[in-house]
Amino acid sequence: MSKTILIIDDEEDVKEIAQMGLEMAADWNVITASSGREGLKIAAIEQPEVILLDLMMPEWDGKETLKYLKAEKKTANIPVILMTAKTQSAIALELASLDLAGTIAKPFRPLELSEQIGRILKSKQN
Amino acid sequence: MTVFKERHHPPKADILAIDDTPENLALLSQMLTEKGYKVRSVTKGSTAIRGAKALPPDLILLDVKMPEMNGYEVCQHLKTDDRTKDIPVIFISALGDVFDKVEAFQVGGVDYVTKPFQVEEVLARLDTHLTLRKLQIELEARNNQLQQEITQKNAAEDKFAKVFRACPNPIAIATRGEGRVIEVNDSFLQMSGYTAEEVIDRSIDRLYSPSALIVYRQALQKTYSQGYVRNLELEFSPKSGEVKTILLSLEIVELEGNKCVLQIMNDITERKRLENEFISLVSHELRTPMTSTIGALDLLNSGQLGSLSDRGKQILEVAIRNSERLIRLVNDILDLERIKSGKIAIEPIECHLQPLLVQATETMQAMAAKAQVNLKLEPYDVVLNLDCDRILQTLTNLLSNAIKFTEPGGTVTLQAAVIENSCSIVVRDTGRGIPADKLESIFERFQQVDTSDSRSKGGTGLGLAICRHIIERHNGKIWVESELGKGSAFYIDLPLQF
Repeated sequence: MSKTILIIDDEEDVKEIAQMGLEMAADWNVITASSGREGLKIAAIEQPEVILLDLMMPEWDGKETLKYLKAEKKTANIPVILMTAKTQSAIALELASLDLAGTIAKPFRPLELSEQIGRILKSKQN
Repeated sequence: MTVFKERHHPPKADILAIDDTPENLALLSQMLTEKGYKVRSVTKGSTAIRGAKALPPDLILLDVKMPEMNGYEVCQHLKTDDRTKDIPVIFISALGDVFDKVEAFQVGGVDYVTKPFQVEEVLARLDTHLTLRKLQIELEARNNQLQQEITQKNAAEDKFAKVFRACPNPIAIATRGEGRVIEVNDSFLQMSGYTAEEVIDRSIDRLYSPSALIVYRQALQKTYSQGYVRNLELEFSPKSGEVKTILLSLEIVELEGNKCVLQIMNDITERKRLENEFISLVSHELRTPMTSTIGALDLLNSGQLGSLSDRGKQILEVAIRNSERLIRLVNDILDLERIKSGKIAIEPIECHLQPLLVQATETMQAMAAKAQVNLKLEPYDVVLNLDCDRILQTLTNLLSNAIKFTEPGGTVTLQAAVIENSCSIVVRDTGRGIPADKLESIFERFQQVDTSDSRSKGGTGLGLAICRHIIERHNGKIWVESELGKGSAFYIDLPLQF
């Protein structure tokens, strides 16, 4: 059975591109949420193998959503990968302190996304 | 004849002679007139006082013993009136008369002569007192003039002091060397939150944050060597602890023989906040649509969504190439702004140069191979204080430029050497070279040798500007030497001690 990934991003187009890339490159079962709040709910129910979370979102941003995901028993153990358009070292340092499986820089190549996610998950297991 | 003579020789002085004995007066008058004085003779004290007030003489010869009003009384009168009080009075007393010298001086006389006169003596005393009076008048005039000059100078100083105090820009004056604050204006106190007592006579250093202090000290050195520094962006630490961003200008001034540093500031905290907010906004707002665009093009290009005609593929390539250029441009603009504004801290650590040279060469090897350019590294090692990531960024940027502008078969070389107190790194190519008039300007934003370069070579026009800022933040220098048609050499000089 194919693995499930949850993409949480307020940008419909970005979500669609990421979903297509993941579905085309590998046999991911992609589910999506448009806000942190919605993402938290879906994650608790669907129990995805991994969550792809956008950093810059209105209301709850990526960091806040992550906090809720990690605080909720049902979602605490799901690895979270943060998507960020910010690549500055200051941000990188700040992100390093968070409970993340890894980060992916925007813009990403949709067809390489699956491989990137695979690498991150694998390195985390090791 | 006399009139004629007088016209040519104005009288030496105007003398008022007072004596109740007409013979005495006539004698005195004749004697003085002969010597070139103008003499007014009166026999009564009251007439003399009126005459003196109406037209003050230069000197008064006054008989002591007179009916009605004696000489002392006349003198006292003269001394009470502003018009006559400064006129020197010489008493005349007959030998054998009761004459009180002490009283004569007490009532304001300056001297006395005794009758019968000895002509030379009278003339000598007259001369002496006229000269004294003249000197006194000159002295008074000079004194008045000085007083006036002092008043004017004080007014001018007061004007500048007012301007200094009221200047809307915060200003501090500190001593050269130890940086002891000797003067600040109101605006400075307002920005710093300190009272004058809390800053005056104390070091100005504590008003700059520790990281700002390094930059501030470098600026001071520059001020000592070239006399000034203009608009240096710096962090200022007010009493409240809420760090402010200022533009600092420094100038050497000499105050009372001591060299001081005039520090004029401009609080740009709010402007910086808006700028950072804008950069952050641009960063997000531009990258988000670019993410979708690049992603969409990538998916189309994969061929998994159906195949395109050759022409279609060609057009798709154009779209991909340009959207990639756009994202590079956005990245470079943000990078440059952040380095310039100090938002990206340059964090030098002690590190070996060799691994950086190797890594830069390895990173660019694929590009060189594709361009059929021979990329060579001449290994060299030295320990320097560097922000490794940023120096690597600079080296790959220079190598990438060199490869771009070198024809297939050409060579790009990376070398380093220590010369005196600095480490020199050179990126040499055998490319088309840079015209002399562009050697400086290519380090400015969007200043390429050829405006078509950004299209044909895929650059953003910001790479060298970024390199320059990185190197300058390391206290280093970057420049290029070039020969048209033969090639260029980009030099980086980094100080061994940073």
